[in-house]
Amino acid sequence: MGEREYLEYYALNRRGVSGWFRMRGYTIERKLYALHRITGILIVLFMLPHFYSTGWHPGIWWDALLGIIVTFHVANGVRLTLLELLGAGIGKPLLVKKPFQRPVSIEGRQRYLLALTVLLFIVLAVIWSYYAVIVKPLMGG
Amino acid sequence: MRESTKMLLHYIAGVLIVVTGLIHLLANNDPGIGKLITGNVYLYLTNMAIFLAALLYHALNGVRVILIELVPDMCWTKLIGWAILLIGIATYIVGIQVLLMALGLV
Amino acid sequence: MMEQSSIDLWKPVKVVKLKIYRYNPKKDFSPKWKEYEIEVSRGTTILDALIRIKEEVDPSLSFRYSCGQALCGSCAMMVNGRQMLVCRTRVLEAAHNRDFVELRPLDNFPVIRDLAGDFTSFFEKHRAIKPWIIRRDFEELDNPTGEYKQTIEEYARYYQFTDCLKCGACYSACPTVATDHEYLGPQALAQAYRYMVDSRDDGLDERIAILDSDHGCWRCHFAASCSDVCPKYVDPAQGIQLLKKLIVRRKFGLKPHRPSDALPSKIGEVKRR
Ligand code: SF4
Ligand code: SF4
Repeated sequence: MGEREYLEYYALNRRGVSGWFRMRGYTIERKLYALHRITGILIVLFMLPHFYSTGWHPGIWWDALLGIIVTFHVANGVRLTLLELLGAGIGKPLLVKKPFQRPVSIEGRQRYLLALTVLLFIVLAVIWSYYAVIVKPLMGG
Repeated sequence: MRESTKMLLHYIAGVLIVVTGLIHLLANNDPGIGKLITGNVYLYLTNMAIFLAALLYHALNGVRVILIELVPDMCWTKLIGWAILLIGIATYIVGIQVLLMALGLV
Repeated sequence: MMEQSSIDLWKPVKVVKLKIYRYNPKKDFSPKWKEYEIEVSRGTTILDALIRIKEEVDPSLSFRYSCGQALCGSCAMMVNGRQMLVCRTRVLEAAHNRDFVELRPLDNFPVIRDLAGDFTSFFEKHRAIKPWIIRRDFEELDNPTGEYKQTIEEYARYYQFTDCLKCGACYSACPTVATDHEYLGPQALAQAYRYMVDSRDDGLDERIAILDSDHGCWRCHFAASCSDVCPKYVDPAQGIQLLKKLIVRRKFGLKPHRPSDALPSKIGEVKRR
């Protein structure tokens, strides 16, 4: 870094990419956001060789890991679709605020949706791992 | 195209990926149901065509979103959008061709 | 008795170390951290402590504040890495379970000096979404015949968002703003929603053209940090998700929101304008 850039870096005071993955001290939604982004990038990285030499797979145990990545992205994607597009579970604006009221969008029904998402993720990941580790080797693939 | 159209398609493509991707996985991994799907060439081909389109749209739009958040200046935003669109169309054409050749239809 | 307890409140109970970010972009090559030790009582807020340091120890310390009671939104800072209004955070609360309190200027705002950030682009974005009520009935506006009345349901749709102080805590916490300096930010988007659902407002389509752009409301990915840090419980994340829903509904030609029931009879026969 030259002197000019150095000064600009501190004067602008932007977090940059590290701001995306800064999770400590914030709620769990922020962690899910960061993981959604990371898993999305990893899936794109997997897609490239999978397309290039048609049907490429990294091997049994890596397949199970891939399953965890994909099923997380799917489960969280379902949650995001419900929340962002349909506004389901996001709650209504309040007319009366209690002192030290927690935000409705974090504390309300959205948290049940989040628990369901985690449940869906676990179920899907177990099914995928079962196929990847047990069924597929039996098929001789 | 408005941003809301792009993002609406993004969510719809996501739902399509879950459905067609499930069929794709069953076809390759499940001994019972897989035979039924791979046995019918046209079912397999249609499924793959939809799956590939939805997957490419969803993935490349996701990459576009990440890139324009990374480089937010207006000219870059436009350039990234067009570049991603061209890459997507080219990949889809090549992908369908490879698929047709693998199934012995071309 | 009463007097006794209020004296208790101001009795010094602990010496706390404040680690403060010192930086003058016009002079310094890089920021420095300076430590100040200060005696605090149960009621001392961080703002009180800062004012005391400026008065007694180091007059060159710069920070911005105005009302001192969480009503103006000037004094938001990073306290131990989290956006807070220092006027309503007590030192003992922030120093709980640690031996020092770390103060930094808000992330994602250019530093003017020490703890004060530059809010120019933040306010420009707020202005960009037209934060005022847009009316089309010019005849009525020129020759007013009465008030614009609302039912309680219509009021409840936007009341929560009117509490915003423009303190910038949400804008600073948002992960998208960390890289995307064109993004409108949670505060502007929540205010846009507040005006769009107001039953007196006619500017829905005008604002959709601004919000539905490359760096508009769709760059929000529901990390919900904005609601997490908002000191007035405005819940901008909720507003933005509802805004997206509103835009999608509008796209399919649906009514933006259900027309509310007739005005309460207490007001009597009321002409809706
Ligand atoms: S929405 Fe909350 S955090 Fe954001 S500027 Fe307004 S009061 Fe501050
Ligand atoms: S909910 Fe949206 S606007 Fe709020 S912090 Fe998260 S990404 Fe930013």
